[in-house]
Amino acid sequence: MSDIRLSEKKTYSPQEIRLQNGTSLENKRAGRILAGFQGSRPVIDIERGKYFTESFRETEGQPLILRWAKALYNYAEHATVYVDDDQLIAGRAGRSGRYGILYPELDGDFLDEAIKSLPERDSSPFDIAPEDAEYIIREISPYWKGKTFHEALAAAIPMETRKYTYNNDSELSSRFIVNETASFRSSIQWVHDYEKPLKIGFNGIKREAEERLAALDEFSPVDNTERKPFLEAVILTADAIILWAKRHSELAAEKAAAESDPVRKAELLEIARICAKVPAEPAESFYEAVQSQWFIQLFSRIEQKTGTIISNGRMDQYLYPYYKADKEKGVIDEDKAEELLECVWVSMAQYIDLYLSKAGGAFNEGYAHWEAVTIGGQTPDGRDAVNELTYIFLRSKREFPLNYPDLAARIHTRSPKRYLYEVAETIKDGSGFPKLINDDEVVPLLLAKGAQFEEAYDYSVSGCAECRMPNRDTFTSPCAYINFAAALEMTIYNGKMLKYGDEVIGLQTGEDFADFDSFLSAYLKQQKNFMKHAFIQQHEIIRLRGEHFASPLGSSLHKLCMEQQKDIHSPKIDGGIDLGYFEFIGYGTVIDSLAALKKVMFEDKRVTLSELKDAMMHNFEGFEPIRAIMQSAPAYGNNDGYADEIGKLLDRELLEFTRKYSAELGVQLDLRYVPFTSNVPFGKVVSATPNGRLAYVPLSDGSSASQGADKNGPTAILLSNYATKNYDYRNRAARLLNIKLSPQCVSGEDGTEKLVDFIKAWCDLKLWHLQFNIINRETLIAAQNDPDSYRSLLVRVAGYSAYFCELSKDLQDDIISRTEHIAV
Amino acid sequence: MTSGIVFNIQPYSLHDGSGIRTIVFLKGCPLRCIWCCNPESQNAMPEVYFDSENCIRSKGCKFCDGLCNITEYPAKLPEGDCATFENVCPTGALGVYGKRMTVDEVLDRVESESAFYSHGGGGLTLSGGEPFMQGEFALELLTEAKKRRIGTAAETCGYCETEVLRKAAGMLDEILFDIKLADEEKHIRCTGSSNRLILKNLEMLSREFPTLKKRIRTPVIPTVNDNGKDIYDIKRLVSGIGGCTHELLPYHRFGVRKYELLGRRYADIPERLDENNFERLKKLHL
Repeated sequence: MSDIRLSEKKTYSPQEIRLQNGTSLENKRAGRILAGFQGSRPVIDIERGKYFTESFRETEGQPLILRWAKALYNYAEHATVYVDDDQLIAGRAGRSGRYGILYPELDGDFLDEAIKSLPERDSSPFDIAPEDAEYIIREISPYWKGKTFHEALAAAIPMETRKYTYNNDSELSSRFIVNETASFRSSIQWVHDYEKPLKIGFNGIKREAEERLAALDEFSPVDNTERKPFLEAVILTADAIILWAKRHSELAAEKAAAESDPVRKAELLEIARICAKVPAEPAESFYEAVQSQWFIQLFSRIEQKTGTIISNGRMDQYLYPYYKADKEKGVIDEDKAEELLECVWVSMAQYIDLYLSKAGGAFNEGYAHWEAVTIGGQTPDGRDAVNELTYIFLRSKREFPLNYPDLAARIHTRSPKRYLYEVAETIKDGSGFPKLINDDEVVPLLLAKGAQFEEAYDYSVSGCAECRMPNRDTFTSPCAYINFAAALEMTIYNGKMLKYGDEVIGLQTGEDFADFDSFLSAYLKQQKNFMKHAFIQQHEIIRLRGEHFASPLGSSLHKLCMEQQKDIHSPKIDGGIDLGYFEFIGYGTVIDSLAALKKVMFEDKRVTLSELKDAMMHNFEGFEPIRAIMQSAPAYGNNDGYADEIGKLLDRELLEFTRKYSAELGVQLDLRYVPFTSNVPFGKVVSATPNGRLAYVPLSDGSSASQGADKNGPTAILLSNYATKNYDYRNRAARLLNIKLSPQCVSGEDGTEKLVDFIKAWCDLKLWHLQFNIINRETLIAAQNDPDSYRSLLVRVAGYSAYFCELSKDLQDDIISRTEHIAV
Repeated sequence: MTSGIVFNIQPYSLHDGSGIRTIVFLKGCPLRCIWCCNPESQNAMPEVYFDSENCIRSKGCKFCDGLCNITEYPAKLPEGDCATFENVCPTGALGVYGKRMTVDEVLDRVESESAFYSHGGGGLTLSGGEPFMQGEFALELLTEAKKRRIGTAAETCGYCETEVLRKAAGMLDEILFDIKLADEEKHIRCTGSSNRLILKNLEMLSREFPTLKKRIRTPVIPTVNDNGKDIYDIKRLVSGIGGCTHELLPYHRFGVRKYELLGRRYADIPERLDENNFERLKKLHL
């Protein structure tokens, strides 16, 4: 019978149609603001670096947390403040347009070198004004030499571990084998309890600190040397943020006085009124709450470079009471609320997370950012949490498709139908939002790790795919990204990698293998050895972090820190739950390589190891039949038990390791599969692999299949993920999963319904994360060839969406090569 | 255990029945529609095929050396001999259309996707070829699917034993039934068979299974039935049959290349279906 099902007529996503028609967003206020900076090259703003350095120079020897508070105060008092034209929300952390700021305390030791290369860099380049560059070289960089976290860490890591961590160059650049991420950010992804300052204001926080200060034991050495400076720092920081907001109020009032347009004048006066009030005092309207929250997150960004930008928490929850009250009073409607939120989104879009190191840049291509805004999910008592405001966030994403904020939708088995449909409709737009996080996987794991129900149900998505409980999580150390494809290469070449020639880096596990089991056991030794070094790194990072970083603002928003008067960076906070992770990079690459070796070489004996090595050393050039036969083996992502069993074993071995040694680090170091864009730079050190992957191209990303290896459709990828997870272990964290669908799969009402079915099945399977690219392959290729016409094309990269044309060619190719699923 | 010849199992199918489905394609079809896009599904038994475009012998590949030297494809070898051609070629240039599978092997694959069936009423779709040509196998697949509480649908050309279709209908949640032409003579010319049995079967379904969900589908093929008269006749015919929906499907040419692989010539059908004409035919009222 016929199976004529498809028209050859192409289906396009709304985003693709907008690109074809050149639709403008300038009928919106936020759209006009966006047009002013979209596509411009970000510029470095030195004020944060400048005022911090100035203050740190003067406070040497004092308690670190107090030094941080003084630096923040110095910034608040002297940094330029901004109220942008047309904006309803005041506040930026740097100059007009897209800007990045400096955190010299992290890795400023090579700041002078970095600013020379930043404008030319492939991934996430930045410009800098010549006078600013000169100031950095003269004033900022020299002060930090010998004082940065990066240097302290490099010095602390044992020589043997260093071999896996850094190249032996002046910048101590990453070797992309066992990669530390602690010196390009001061903490992992983080989120604050924003509800507290909205409710009591910073004057309330200050009063709390003053009461605690008055209650200290005047004879206690700990109270005098630790608690007292902590509380003084909290008070000074509260003063700082209040002062900083007031300066915005004054500027708005000045601008109002000079404004001739009565409408704008009224807006400026309202901004002046609000900034005089919040965040000092409790917010009393939706507008005040939104402005207050923006000030707090922005000041937090100035305080610390938390991993991939501070997250926004459950905005549809903590802003809802203000929205509801305003709506009942009749002072706000959906359009107004949406406009205010979009004013924040365009403010976010101008702050660009700046990474000095090449590794940082390459991990976070396309100016990555994860200021996750969480919507949906459940209330602390386990009911569905969706409200009217939730839908405004989704509507805003459809009507104003900007890649800010990073929107995360929590899904659970009782999520209402309308919510699931609107989520699906938003995904269908094609710009990659929202990403989905599964309560049915996350909540039980948080419980198993020690949370109370009400905390677990109330988690916020933080960063890329992490989930945090803002008053319970206390672990901040950034963690290792581990290139296990390099471990595989070392198994093949007896401890060496082709990239590094004759240098023996890994273990010498031999060159002859009688059977697959002996090869596998050699690989597992290499894998375990990488884990050993990752945990050694982590031990030193945890030991050092409290000596280098303090967060008086962040700590003042954390219940446990305030109760114990301890900075959030302290290695141990009583009652806290310490959740860290380590990263498996190259999961699909390693599984497929092992499966190919097992099937083709050891079982079917169609290739010998020496033939294969020969082929791989020639990057398969002239060895096409060998490459083809290796590629024909079972692969991960196809719901094929042959490959999936290997994946499950690798996962379990790592879970066993962390189960045994996590306790020594005082943290639950969980296994995670979230690469950012690091699968690209990691691939650049790994030569050709037995699964037919060519030398130095990207590794597989997250828990997705190897590029193009998934041939059985998107359901099979979910099922392979399910099959490779070890649900009996609790030290599991996120698995990032990218699915690329052609718009034809989701077209029409029927397409929405089937996308909802797909999402529900994903929820049932208890997979952690899911995100979609709904795009035609030829659109990506067209954008690569004609970037000017596709500047606004957004694609989902790895937990975030970025402008396709701002990605490096390597990453663009990687995204194009991810399998596009077409349904019949 | 009963087994049959399956030529493909395809998960994540969205356009053949409700929900997300897995289609099991059974090999063999009694019709020879000149526009058929799955010519490899027509013969009932496995066939060895060769696709020279994917062959990398010129790059030194020798993995198929030692297999018997076939000169013409597709080769209809005894089933056992066909099996020696499976999983030999690294690029899939040389391979076998069709594979013998047991009922359990098929249903295990289908059931492994069951997480995707539970929300939108998805499940198993039997297709072909003509699935009911392997009558006993098809019925056992449906029996087993029912036992495993998996939703069932079938796509049929209607040209099958009435008794098989009757038994199947009792186990189906939905049937997709093709009506290509109302005119018998034209039907013979374009499909190689009369449509009398097809119409009789459709009438039987209508009478004996009034509550079974029936979707009647007509592929609109340029120069075959893309005209007002044929479509009008089909619509009139369908309107006389109770409890079904009718839809027109646009012609596509995805199968054309497969004819080359099979050493056959594709019928002389214009490349494109006129879109405006298709829209007009969809709107045609009785």
